[in-house]
Amino acid sequence: MQKFIRKNGIVVSIYLLGACTIWIALMIVLPQVFMLDFSFRFNLPPAKIGGPEDVYTLSNYSHLLFGRANNPESFNWLDTSVFGKTITAAIFVTIFDVVICYPIAFYLAQVAKGGYARFMVLSLIVPFWVNEILRAFAFRIIFSSSGLINTVGMGMGIWDEPFDFIKLDIALYAGLGYAFILLMIFPIYNAVESLDKNQLEAARDLGSPWWRIHWRVVIPFAKPGIASGCTMVFMLSAGALAAPQILGGPSSLWFTQIIYQWFNTGGNWPRGSSYAIVLLVTCTIFVMLMMRLFKVRLGEIAR
Amino acid sequence: MTTERLTRVFVFLFIVLFFAYLFGPLLIMGVSAFNSSTFPRATPWECFTTEWFVKLGKDERLLEGLWHSIAIGFSVVCVSVPIGMAGAILLTQVNRKIRPVFYTIIISPILVPGVVLGISTLIFWDRLGTMFDASYNSIFYSGTFLTVIGQSTFISAYCMLVFIARLQRFDPALEEAALDLGATNFQTFYKILLPFMMPAVFSAAVLAFLASFENYNTTIFTIVSESTLTTVLASKVRYGIDPSISALAVIIVALTLLGAIVFEVMKRREARVAEARKREGMAPVSRADRASKIADPAHILMALVVIAGVGFVYLLAFFDSAACKTHVLEEKRILQERQVIPETQYQGIFGRGAIEGLEPGAEPAPGGTGEGAPAGEGEPGGYKGIFDPNVLKDQSGTGEEGSEAPQPLPDEEGSNFNKGIFDPNVLKQQSGTGED
Repeated sequence: MQKFIRKNGIVVSIYLLGACTIWIALMIVLPQVFMLDFSFRFNLPPAKIGGPEDVYTLSNYSHLLFGRANNPESFNWLDTSVFGKTITAAIFVTIFDVVICYPIAFYLAQVAKGGYARFMVLSLIVPFWVNEILRAFAFRIIFSSSGLINTVGMGMGIWDEPFDFIKLDIALYAGLGYAFILLMIFPIYNAVESLDKNQLEAARDLGSPWWRIHWRVVIPFAKPGIASGCTMVFMLSAGALAAPQILGGPSSLWFTQIIYQWFNTGGNWPRGSSYAIVLLVTCTIFVMLMMRLFKVRLGEIAR
Repeated sequence: MTTERLTRVFVFLFIVLFFAYLFGPLLIMGVSAFNSSTFPRATPWECFTTEWFVKLGKDERLLEGLWHSIAIGFSVVCVSVPIGMAGAILLTQVNRKIRPVFYTIIISPILVPGVVLGISTLIFWDRLGTMFDASYNSIFYSGTFLTVIGQSTFISAYCMLVFIARLQRFDPALEEAALDLGATNFQTFYKILLPFMMPAVFSAAVLAFLASFENYNTTIFTIVSESTLTTVLASKVRYGIDPSISALAVIIVALTLLGAIVFEVMKRREARVAEARKREGMAPVSRADRASKIADPAHILMALVVIAGVGFVYLLAFFDSAACKTHVLEEKRILQERQVIPETQYQGIFGRGAIEGLEPGAEPAPGGTGEGAPAGEGEPGGYKGIFDPNVLKDQSGTGEEGSEAPQPLPDEEGSNFNKGIFDPNVLKQQSGTGED
């Protein structure tokens, strides 16, 4: 500690330590601890907080699994099925993004040259400076019942009734997949770019077909990038709120929407925070799973 | 050989499809911003109009949200850039054993869902407020403050990553040299490290502002009763949409394109200057270099784009779409008459009742067939309108203000449309403004 102060001088030391303390304590750790604490409490009016009724409970978590205490069914199918659907859909979106982004990232990193590649990178970035809500809105214009696809499809006589893309969640998946393309491409691109072209040529000279080159040479090499992209896309789509609100059908919900309802119209913050904790834990498990599966470190994922 | 060609065609097709997916939605949204249809769509095309931009400029809530967003963005920059820099510098100095833990903690906000960050910030400050018995006007319950704090939690981590990348290229010998030459610690920091970090400070600030500006997941929880541009937009999009949102998107895309071009030009210039310096052995920028900067084709291109953009907007402001709209109304009328004549014979009486329950103008029912159906039922209403003096007054009122006037709400316009369409006076009125 003394060494640290001697090295930086008193003013800079105070700045460094102060800023990091504020950040870690007041912004990262304590809020999460408070949220965890809050999720184990009953939903009480402000006057009763700290009173004799303010005790710990597991009721908020059991509500997610079993519903209300007087629930005729023994299981809370509504919330759990939404949770399951959110996670499956997020995995689906992640796979979709890997499939369409890997070829583009490879092309950008290894095939495209000079100004052309730069132009492509630039045109990849531009759509992602547009607000996330506006992007979802664009998909609504395309997929709504009087939207582009339906008008064109019916105009050409391919189908007569407007096809409900929104109810089937097609619009939502397309919108979510679109929203996180960039976060998938760039990590893979960074990884593939550092691959030595000679390795590819050596594999080719030894008679390997193109798919085996990818399977045995490029993909193992790009593994950290793929893991990083997958993690980011999964987390962001599981935690997305705007796209499901705008593109989701009236009968289908996203898990974050349930959380939002508990905070907004439901007015039950402790329950909302217990659901948020569930989401957080799920995402953490996913990250650790990816780290284990792809044998990468955390530092390589968050880049 | 043929297989290779096949692969090449395949790859090309894939890239084209990919970029169609990337730009298609934005393009369609852009087109819908200029379509006069009250529901945002590119097809069927009705009239070229700029009224949505005018409407956008008059949207008080949106403008208020915009100012809020800008203010919050600047505050976030002021909070998260210093914090991110401190984190990055501290990371280079902490004990090797603590470093992984430290790194995991400060990187975690990036990996935590934004919703969770917003909730935890909200709860934390709410509980603190309860503990201190603070009033509801105090900082603990202020939406702006909570949003700045909540967003800074993860934006600081973004900034830190930028600073780490820059710090990796820093030569610690510079600092040692400064210290040996008798500089104080503070001077070393201020005169050596900080200037070295300056480019990173700039890019971190831009990144932080953009991230804050377009954040929704965290903001929606922390903003409480206030609003930012994104929350206003989201509520607009969720509860009834109109093309003025597309118009906003057009403006944002245009600004983005401009920014991208400027960025590219600056980057090229930097590269060229660096190359020139290397050639001249670290000599200062020569006059010839400066001259070439002005004559750079990229600069000329940029200037042209700006001029074209301004000219376009200027032209748009004076474009009058009234004539075209009248024409479309006329076309619709013909279409209706064709469909109505056989129908009215059977359901003329029912039609009158139907109009009462019908919500005119609220997004005409799906597709092309929808155009005829509700209006067909509205036909008796059309005749009703002739005897209503208010309709005429109403119409002439908007007529005088021309197309620049704020568009009435969709419902109103729809009812005008239904009532007035068979009124010959209306047509005259509207074509009159067309000539104006």
